Amino acid sequence: MTVASPGPSPAPTRQTPVVASVRDLKVHFRSKAGVVHAVDGVDFDIRDGETLGLVGETGCGKSVTARSFLRLVPMPPGIPVSGSILFRPRSRCSMCDGAGCADCEQTGRVGSVCPGCNGAGCPECDGSGSETLDLLSISERRLRDIRGNRIAMIFQDPGKALNPALSVRDQLGEVFYTHRSEELLDRAGLDGRTEPGALMRRRAAMQSRGLERMLLAVPPLRSKRNALLAAADTMVADALAETQIPNPRNVMDRYPHELSGGMKQRVMIAQALACNPDLLIADEPTTALDVTVQARIIELINQLKERHQTAVLYISHDLSLVKRVCDRTAVMYAGRIAEIGDSEQIFHHPEHPYTRGLLEAIPSTTRARGRLAAIEGTVPELIDPDPACRFAGRCPHAATACRETEPELHATQGGHAVACFLHHPPPGAPAGDVPSLERSGR
Amino acid sequence: MTAAPTPPIGAAHPGGEIVIGVRNLTKHFPIKEGALQRVTGQVRAVDGVTFDLRRGETLGLVGESGCGKTTLGRVVAGLSEPTVGGVYFNLDEASKSRLDTLLNSGGTPSAEESAELDRLDSAHRVDRLQGETWRAFRRNTQMVFQDSFSSLNPRHLVRDLVGRPLRVHREATGSDLTERVVELLEQVGLGRQHLYRYPHQFSGGQRQRISIARALALDPELVILDEPTSALDVSVQAQILNLLHELQKDRGLSYLFVTHDLSVVRHMADRIVVMYLGRVAETGSTADIFESPNHPYTEALLLASPDVSEDEESEGFRGLEGSVPDPARPPQGCRFHTRCSYATASCGWEVDDVVLRLEDIPGMFDHLEAVERKSAFEADLRFDDEASAGTLAATLRSHAPAAMEAATEVLEVRGSTVHLRFTAVEEVQLTARGPGHEAACVLEGLPARR
Repeated sequence: MTVASPGPSPAPTRQTPVVASVRDLKVHFRSKAGVVHAVDGVDFDIRDGETLGLVGETGCGKSVTARSFLRLVPMPPGIPVSGSILFRPRSRCSMCDGAGCADCEQTGRVGSVCPGCNGAGCPECDGSGSETLDLLSISERRLRDIRGNRIAMIFQDPGKALNPALSVRDQLGEVFYTHRSEELLDRAGLDGRTEPGALMRRRAAMQSRGLERMLLAVPPLRSKRNALLAAADTMVADALAETQIPNPRNVMDRYPHELSGGMKQRVMIAQALACNPDLLIADEPTTALDVTVQARIIELINQLKERHQTAVLYISHDLSLVKRVCDRTAVMYAGRIAEIGDSEQIFHHPEHPYTRGLLEAIPSTTRARGRLAAIEGTVPELIDPDPACRFAGRCPHAATACRETEPELHATQGGHAVACFLHHPPPGAPAGDVPSLERSGR
Repeated sequence: MTAAPTPPIGAAHPGGEIVIGVRNLTKHFPIKEGALQRVTGQVRAVDGVTFDLRRGETLGLVGESGCGKTTLGRVVAGLSEPTVGGVYFNLDEASKSRLDTLLNSGGTPSAEESAELDRLDSAHRVDRLQGETWRAFRRNTQMVFQDSFSSLNPRHLVRDLVGRPLRVHREATGSDLTERVVELLEQVGLGRQHLYRYPHQFSGGQRQRISIARALALDPELVILDEPTSALDVSVQAQILNLLHELQKDRGLSYLFVTHDLSVVRHMADRIVVMYLGRVAETGSTADIFESPNHPYTEALLLASPDVSEDEESEGFRGLEGSVPDPARPPQGCRFHTRCSYATASCGWEVDDVVLRLEDIPGMFDHLEAVERKSAFEADLRFDDEASAGTLAATLRSHAPAAMEAATEVLEVRGSTVHLRFTAVEEVQLTARGPGHEAACVLEGLPARR
């Protein structure tokens, strides 16, 4: 699928640098019945500091897309077919120390310089000049540095995502031991380079093994180890306090089952934001929570996002929530993006029949009671699909062209990109074969 | 199709026959501890709920998880027995008004009165029904569960699943049964081709249709819908809601619609009961609840629910502070006062509110040695040093909410003990706010939205 321009979105966001871009991502799954095309050619960009919503129904591939960022999709049964996820790590701007200057385009952060071309722009960095990593092809070791550090994830069910056998202290401490061991040593007033620095360095990175642990428990080293633990505790407490958990020192000693759902989700958020990531992936972070708690968590994510200037990929099936939370929205259907653009545009002027159907299906305050405009039919099987519009079977406008060729994402006048022949008739198709709004019953 | 806007309650089903009457329904679950499983407390899941459900009406039951709405649904369905109070079935107007007089008379009933109440109970109260009347109740009350995966036996064919009620009540067998099942399946939008399939071969929406077909098999009067669409996607949810709507129109069904989704309940219900911690916070017609909520909790729920049709900046989208209190020790007075932004001095401030506040002051909880309660409103908090007692008193004097301060009658530090007394208040009862609109709040009405 060709990469269509994402459309003329408003000028300010257009200039903000792209943190991650997904290019023609295809992830399939092997099953008894055949190959399931769960994600089948997805393209989008996430810009620095923006919240991109990814909405769609169960099984549309939104979670698989998100998990692909950190290679969390189990392979097998998953098959990585093609595509790339380009990630540009960013760091605090050295010119202005995060205050925002002309150098960093007022974002306070700059991309690392591409080692291949030294900022001149080469194919490796997609011509951008900044360091670009393809998350799907870098080594596992490299990826470990990114996971939880540069890209963090909040999962749907905090009850399942937190380890029940670890206290909040250990759970959160792990992040710092893994990614911030230098800072830990600094805070503990230890010099990692001097002897017995290697021991402490390994302890700070949680790599101590049997005999080393025994050594560290013996008096001369014990005080240093304890200083290290105290430093980790402080960092954990600070991270927890940031998510407005009252009395974080008290919560640190608890296990996940002792916390309420909202509290667990706060711990997850604290863990995700601990290393101040460039990109936060929130996979239905509030689905398991009550509405009143959900509203609090959303407020919290928004606040923290503002403070840290983190880009967020927000995945949800709840359109009303996405409308509240996201700057831009991508609507996915059956493994492909149906429509992408500014949330304002998507929700007020939806152009894809599927988006329109979804919006009409939500019981709303302004509509009279009675029949809801349900989208008839069900999501198609994704096993070896034919080259056709995936929505054709349920679409009120579908015509011959829709059943024979697959529409691609193209920019529209409305300021976003839509994959539908209603807006971009396939070239050379006879008029009768092309869908039109007039013909349908709507 | 354009449907008429929601008719006001009272106009829609004025003399409608009462399908089910719930009176002072209370369900407590014992907390058992230790090797001997001694009962150490009661989780008060449902605590004194009263409402009527009339024919053809949809009653929405909303609240957060843990507020007792599912338990209430299960008790109404006869799946568990109430601790106190009851669910009355088949009440005619005469016996309903007689029952209400007897139940509300107060004081000790005379021998005749108790005999009469006993007679009414054995004829109408669900947990005392037997034989034919019990069977009639079971036929007429069916339930659709939230999770259609676990409520449909994976080893049974659709024909057996949907035909089971018919078989149990000896309505049909053999080919007759098959035909009846096909008829039911067609009503819910499935067909003959689905007869010999297993539940796992269907999508979530289809499985929920099968559950609905099973619930309708015996032509019931009341269907209890326990979050029937919360596991479904919006487009499928719309299909199921449309189906439920049509079935109600065709068959004159009554629904008890249990859900946490306010937009769904607004779409479906004629009347709404808002529950919080086992008690009814507010009840009224759908329009009353949404246009003029009279309980802060209802308002909080409305503010926390995002709505696609709403403009983003129009209203403050915000959640509630704190978490739901322990239902084994519900707060005094108004159960919502711990999280309420309008709380006043007469909302039931008590010792527990202070103890909870201790947890938020770092290190304070460790210094607390004992809480000697004289009542829920009066206690001595003993600390292991005088400094902590002083800190607590100072915090309460300077940082406590104004309403809590106003309710404090005594706050004294004696050595390392803090003596506390709050104004004792009764549990807040439902009071009328308009025709058919009741709320349990000490405020006459809510201040204009901020």
